[in-house]
Amino acid sequence: MPHMRLLLVDDEVEFTLALAERLQLRKYDVRTAGSALEALALIKEQLPDVIILDLKIPGMDGIETLKTIKKIDPEIEVIMLTGHGDVKSVEEGIKSGAFEYIMKPVDIEELIVKINKALAKKNKEQ
Amino acid sequence: MDRRFNDLLKVLFHPHDYFKILSRDRYKSLKIRIVLLDAMISLVPLIIVVTISYFWFQSILKEDFRNQVKWQIENTEQSIEYFIDEKVSALRFLASSYSYEQLSDQKMLTDIFSKFEKEFTGLVDLGLIDSNGIQQAYAGPYPLTGKDYSNQEWFNEIVVRNVYVSDVFMGYRRLPHFAIAVKKQCPEKGTFCILRATIDMKILKRFASAINLRENDDAFILNHEGILQTPSRFYGDVLNKFKLPVLPTQRGVSVVDVKELDGGPAIFGYVPIRKSPWILVAVIKSNPYLRIPKIFRNELLLISILSIVISVVMTFLMAQTVVNRIKKADQEIEDAMAKTEQTSKLASIGRLAAGVAHEINNPLAIINEKAGLMKDILEVSDSLEQNKEKFLSLINGIAESVNRCRTITHRLLGFSRQMEISHETVDINDTVKEVISFLDKEILYRNIRLELNLQNNLPKVTTDKGQVQQVFLNIINNAIDAVKEEGYITVSSHIKDNHFVRVAIKDNGVGIPKENLKHIFEPFYSTKEKGKGTGLGLSISYGIMQKLGGTILVESEVNKGTTFIIEVPVNTMEVSKGGL
Repeated sequence: MPHMRLLLVDDEVEFTLALAERLQLRKYDVRTAGSALEALALIKEQLPDVIILDLKIPGMDGIETLKTIKKIDPEIEVIMLTGHGDVKSVEEGIKSGAFEYIMKPVDIEELIVKINKALAKKNKEQ
Repeated sequence: MDRRFNDLLKVLFHPHDYFKILSRDRYKSLKIRIVLLDAMISLVPLIIVVTISYFWFQSILKEDFRNQVKWQIENTEQSIEYFIDEKVSALRFLASSYSYEQLSDQKMLTDIFSKFEKEFTGLVDLGLIDSNGIQQAYAGPYPLTGKDYSNQEWFNEIVVRNVYVSDVFMGYRRLPHFAIAVKKQCPEKGTFCILRATIDMKILKRFASAINLRENDDAFILNHEGILQTPSRFYGDVLNKFKLPVLPTQRGVSVVDVKELDGGPAIFGYVPIRKSPWILVAVIKSNPYLRIPKIFRNELLLISILSIVISVVMTFLMAQTVVNRIKKADQEIEDAMAKTEQTSKLASIGRLAAGVAHEINNPLAIINEKAGLMKDILEVSDSLEQNKEKFLSLINGIAESVNRCRTITHRLLGFSRQMEISHETVDINDTVKEVISFLDKEILYRNIRLELNLQNNLPKVTTDKGQVQQVFLNIINNAIDAVKEEGYITVSSHIKDNHFVRVAIKDNGVGIPKENLKHIFEPFYSTKEKGKGTGLGLSISYGIMQKLGGTILVESEVNKGTTFIIEVPVNTMEVSKGGL
């Protein structure tokens, strides 16, 4: 799977950096953003394949960010991150076009399975 | 004002408690109001009816008594009138039965007198007077033959009127009597003569006493000049002047109420006696009609008291029933409110749990990733030495995240601890100084100017020192976070009133935007950088101050600073008891 581009969006910098490093070790091309605006800027710079998006980020509500991303490119798959079982937000996220969600703390194997599924879906559509 | 506002807040947040306190007094006053209203509705008409009937009955009795008096006076007057009529008729009969010659014969007249005396009660003497006023013959106890009456007024009067009844006068024996005279025409002589009889006053007196008199009553006869014709009990003997003015009408009995006569009310009745110069007078001072109502009054009183007792008992029973019904309905509402409160409490606990999960999950996620990264590195690289620095940094990151978790769990412990309050005597100024000593290093390190402005003679307060300390710590900590390097913080204390001590913590920091002000006391609301605040500090502080009977007030302006004012009650126990 060459050049799979991921974008991690979360305001917990320590978390995103560590997770990014782990994903990089698994040969993904990973960039990180600490806020919605930063994320949108990075997306415009280069479209990622999959975005891992925290639902609580500064600058813009997670769901709003998700909708904006889907507007920019509906083919970008989004996996939502949530710190607690906010079922309503998750449901809304799925309705707004998110591919999957995953709970914090993240099990890396589970995340990779979900990322690969998202990539497979994206490739199929292409 | 602040205290009132605080009370209002309490009512809003704990309507259930407020309702309970309010209702106890409310039921009492409601019951009193029902009893009073009902008593008024039932007792006022009762009292009115009883009073009216009492006076009505009295007036009927009085009227009845007056009529009795009137009737007696009338009867007596009639008896006297008949008596006089009878005497006049008897004299007329004598005058017409005998000739002038027979009557003027002294022997014959004495004979007639002695026969007549038996039938004619009270007769004292009998005399015949010729047209010149000379007494030609006289039968009686005095030597009055030859007496000249021509100059006396009565003689002139009888010449005109044919019949004459005199006032009472004193005779030769100093005994009161009166005279009746009739004129006899003597056509054969072309002249007239007068037959005159003197009658003892005792006869009149007997008639007057026929009126049914009680202890204080009096009845007597007056002439038109107000001279007593018969002796009276209270107004003097015969021929004395009666002290009240008597103005008889032409006919009929007059009954007058006299309000005050010799120390009491009286009925004053009088009637002119026809065919005589007299007036029959009765002064009735006894008032039996006042005594009769006394009996009536006792019965009335008994009935009234019975009615009052019954109505009061009924009123109390009714009020009790009504109030109990209301109480029951209120209890149901109260229970419903308690249930709602319980539900909202559960919702709060749910929010709290979600907040805690989120706050703890973030540092856990960091620990998870850092530990996972270390594992990943170990898996791809054999040399530990090569990755030593990387590992140390990751371990530090983990330790930091553990610290974050610890802060949150500690705050939560504080949250649960605020449920219990302990009481001790606390010097608020000392408490402020102690709290500041915890933060000294941070203040020094960040080059913050701290100014203490504490009032010296603050009263000692009875409160939970640890909890007050925590409130000060939270708020001063916030102030330190709010100010930039070289900012300043002022902590001042002063007495608000007899019940509260105020501590104000003022900073010149970033301030709180208006839209955020209403959220600052909500749990997990934080505007601090990630990982720096738990969003529990102010929420906990607010809860503590509420429990202690105090309050926290905020004033803030963006970019100018924020002032938190903490009001600590001088006596927590007192406020807690008096409040909610």
